[in-house]
Amino acid sequence: MSTFVTKGPVAETQYDLFMLTVWVTLGIFIAVGGAFAFAIIKFRERPNDDRPMPSQGHGNPLVEIGLIGVSILLLVIIAVPTLKGIWYTHDTPEDPESLMGAWYKGEELAEEESENPLIVKVIGYQWWWAFEYPQLGITTANEMVIPAGKVVHLELRSSDVIHSFWLPRIAGKVDLIPGRTNSMWIQAGDNYLRWKEKQGAAGPEDESPLLRAEYATYLEEEIHNYYYGQCAEYCGDSHARMLFRATVVDNEEFAEWVIDERTGHGTPDGRSWDDWYTAYADKPDSLTGDLNEGLKLFMGRGKCATCHVVKGNPRALGVAGPNLTNVGSRMSIAAGWLNHRSEEDGSIDLEKQYDNFYKWIHETDVVKPGNRMWKAGGGGIGELIDENGELALLTEDEIHKLSLYLQSLK
Amino acid sequence: MSHTETEILTPSTTLAPEKHVLEPERSQLGFMRPDHSRSVIMDWLTTVDHKKIGIMYGAIALFFLLVGGVEALIIRTQLAIPENDLISAQRYNQLFTMHGTTMIFLAIMPLNAAFFNFLVPLQIGARDVAFPRINSFSLWAFVAGAIVINFGWVLQALQVMGLFEASGPTAGMTDLAPAMGWFGYAPLTGTNFTGAGTDFWIMGLQILGIASLSAAMNFVVTIVNMRAPGMKMMRMPVFTWMTLVVSLLIVFAFPAITIALGQLMFDRCFGTNFFVVAGGGQPILWQHLFWIFGHPEVYILVLPAMGIISEILPVFSKKPLFGYSIVVFSGAVIGFLGFAVWSHHMFTTGLGKVATAAFSLLTMAIAVPTGVKIFNWVGTLWGGRVRFSAPMIFSLGFVWMFMMGGFSGIMHSSAPADAQQQDSYFVIAHFHYVAIGGIFLAVVAGIYFWLPKMIGKMWKGNLSTWVAIFSTVGLNVTFFPMHFLGLLGMPRRTHTYLEGFGWETYNLVCTIGAYILAFGIFLLVVDIIRCFRKGEPAGNDPWDARTLEWATSSPPKVYNFAKTPIIPARDALWEDKYGPENRKVTYMDDHGHGIHMPSQSWMPFIAALGFIPVGLGMSLMQAGIPYMGYVAIFGLLVIGFGIALWAIEGPGGYHMHPEADAA
Repeated sequence: MSTFVTKGPVAETQYDLFMLTVWVTLGIFIAVGGAFAFAIIKFRERPNDDRPMPSQGHGNPLVEIGLIGVSILLLVIIAVPTLKGIWYTHDTPEDPESLMGAWYKGEELAEEESENPLIVKVIGYQWWWAFEYPQLGITTANEMVIPAGKVVHLELRSSDVIHSFWLPRIAGKVDLIPGRTNSMWIQAGDNYLRWKEKQGAAGPEDESPLLRAEYATYLEEEIHNYYYGQCAEYCGDSHARMLFRATVVDNEEFAEWVIDERTGHGTPDGRSWDDWYTAYADKPDSLTGDLNEGLKLFMGRGKCATCHVVKGNPRALGVAGPNLTNVGSRMSIAAGWLNHRSEEDGSIDLEKQYDNFYKWIHETDVVKPGNRMWKAGGGGIGELIDENGELALLTEDEIHKLSLYLQSLK
Repeated sequence: MSHTETEILTPSTTLAPEKHVLEPERSQLGFMRPDHSRSVIMDWLTTVDHKKIGIMYGAIALFFLLVGGVEALIIRTQLAIPENDLISAQRYNQLFTMHGTTMIFLAIMPLNAAFFNFLVPLQIGARDVAFPRINSFSLWAFVAGAIVINFGWVLQALQVMGLFEASGPTAGMTDLAPAMGWFGYAPLTGTNFTGAGTDFWIMGLQILGIASLSAAMNFVVTIVNMRAPGMKMMRMPVFTWMTLVVSLLIVFAFPAITIALGQLMFDRCFGTNFFVVAGGGQPILWQHLFWIFGHPEVYILVLPAMGIISEILPVFSKKPLFGYSIVVFSGAVIGFLGFAVWSHHMFTTGLGKVATAAFSLLTMAIAVPTGVKIFNWVGTLWGGRVRFSAPMIFSLGFVWMFMMGGFSGIMHSSAPADAQQQDSYFVIAHFHYVAIGGIFLAVVAGIYFWLPKMIGKMWKGNLSTWVAIFSTVGLNVTFFPMHFLGLLGMPRRTHTYLEGFGWETYNLVCTIGAYILAFGIFLLVVDIIRCFRKGEPAGNDPWDARTLEWATSSPPKVYNFAKTPIIPARDALWEDKYGPENRKVTYMDDHGHGIHMPSQSWMPFIAALGFIPVGLGMSLMQAGIPYMGYVAIFGLLVIGFGIALWAIEGPGGYHMHPEADAA
């Protein structure tokens, strides 16, 4: 999550300003600290000091005014780029290459949206994130996907308390405050123009395909990645466990991801949802296999569908919890706390993923103390047998099947 | 004409000269006054002597400094390794909330108050503060607030011991200790997110605010009105000047938090909607109100430290403070500008470009008067004769560490850079350099400097050097790595963290540093105890100092100065010792009147104790415990009763004749 290795113009501006303040204050430190150290050593009392009493002077106005003048000058050195930086990082820039029409390869985009950059609505909950893409009609949770090198406009809102969106390598934070909408912009990697300027290539007419290819390589090698982010404003019990991820991809991958998210999931055995629900109502025993069992628990005793959406499934429509469409493709669950991304190649470690799902359902209060799923009696928490002698909890076998089902959502 | 008034108006020649050892007398109410009590406890509870009150402030503050320190050590132990489960998330959140609240309101502010109380009347040649009974009230109201705010810990301890259970009438008692951070951002403080701890915090803070406000007004009046003849404003010691500035800051800043806390209490107890989003409330309003108080509060904490340093450096350099008037003026400018920078705590809340730019520039501007002070401290050493006595060692350490904290402050002032630092460990590093490297070291310097005056005993041995080494090394080992932790993306207020972000080593080092620092503070406590037990008599002026408090005995007599001094110059005692003949301090003839002393009183103590049932009653009422509203009303009655009797009992007072005693 380092802010030193920046991967975008916003974080880069912020880092450059930071380094400017470091150099200026380091200069002051050397000058003032040097004078101070010199004074301490030079004017120290010596043994058997018989020098006359120091002059009892009360100060020197010229020296004072001179030092005040120098201080103000040094601050101006910081102030001017700071003002520039405030203006640059505040308003979403108008970058022709970032307009949806210029790069989005998918279908079904309203015409007026092609004149806008990609918009993502970020909504904070105790303690997870929803990411809505209103132009594309999709919603995901805790792992956002954005295209490389493009301006993305974020609208930030909260459903409960104040949270703060912080993606250190891409941009500094902006708060999510209930009752109002904040905004910010992020961009993973430079756009073509800024990149070209940094390369020192000749004027704007230089549009050689070679340079374009080099730019594509730059995005591919330096920008396409998996970025860590987190909530930076204390938001209650499990604030420490409110993380998120941003996956930066190229335009084609982004379009594919959108299609995947829109399509959602079918039934485990390939029949239509209507058929599946008819069977579920009439002859639930006919739905066999771990995945079908898992889905039955998801819709039934697990009560998962009350709070979670799974796109495609016409009856999994709850919105109180994270959207679980393609949750099996995510590299982490529980708002970034339980990870299953293998360090070597960035793929999903299936064994770990299963363990994580199991752990989350089994002891959701341990993973995230105070969370709503636990408070609502979801998952494996509570008394195993309720007061009527009925089985209230999910058994270990049921949690196993649910975990397998959730893993299959990809 | 009443007894007391007669006493004041009658020329003292008609009074017996041994009046001050008379038996207790009656107030206008007919009650015995607690003067000349033989019971030590009764004497301290009812005292109106600014010196005793100052010592009590100091002792209680040191106790809470240790409490806050233990809280910090548990926090650091929890963070020593990733994914540690030494303590639960909720306990951790309570600890950091109470660590901040305790250190700011129950440790640093009362430590400053201890110095204000003990020193200001002595430095301006006064007999006491302007309103001695209000002074006593401020102290006990502070104690009441401290009890209310920590009550959740008590309940929680009882719960652990099995003596308290949240069931039956107390079923509504959740979250016993506060856990919403020391700046309590709405709407986390709302009833749907936090429980009883928040109410204790609100009521406790409100009571502490009343204590601070009454004390501050007392000091403003004292400094403006009670100065000895010749003690012009521009002859006052810089510490007294900073007390005046800080008192004015309190008078203007605390009303903002008073209102905010009042609104929050109404939201929680009576269902109003100031900060409740569902009811159309604005959580951001809390932030503005809080920081309009909260930023001046930073200067309320740090300006007295600057005052202490401005007293010590000249003494141990054998030179007057370089640029006295500009140091005083920059202190006032810092206080004034302190009200104009509050939104730099809110750069990430979406203020908009223009507001962000304005607060960014104003924050940079406040670096100028702060820098001026540092230049002048260097100028004070320049050409002087620097003695490395204990107070000086800590003062020099202060200048270094405060510079560090100042520099990271300049880094914050650049709003875009701050977007990466806000709410990360970088901020933790910044304000602990200011708070420990600045305020704490200055307070320790002040303790080493003035304790001989306060108790009349001189330090023994060189333990102070080890205190200095362990505390500065500990401070730097703990907090310097936090700059990097913050920039590596570690957010503050997280009870644990994942492995693999490169934070592990830094966190471990920070934790080790915290223990080194704690050992330094332990040595400090040992040294103070040693001074009390084994110190040799200090004499009036052990440091060859410059200001008036060193002209009287150590410890000073209850009346401070046997005769009112007439001040011919700044650095009055120094001029008296080494200056020309026309700058000697002379003393007023009292024409046999003696010194009029204020009588002690139970009433401030009783009135202040009434805050405990008010605070606890309101909090427990909110938690749904029956009849607690009546307890709060009872508390209000006690306060009203105490104040009314206080008004009726009459000022009292008696005369002392120190010279007649001496004869």
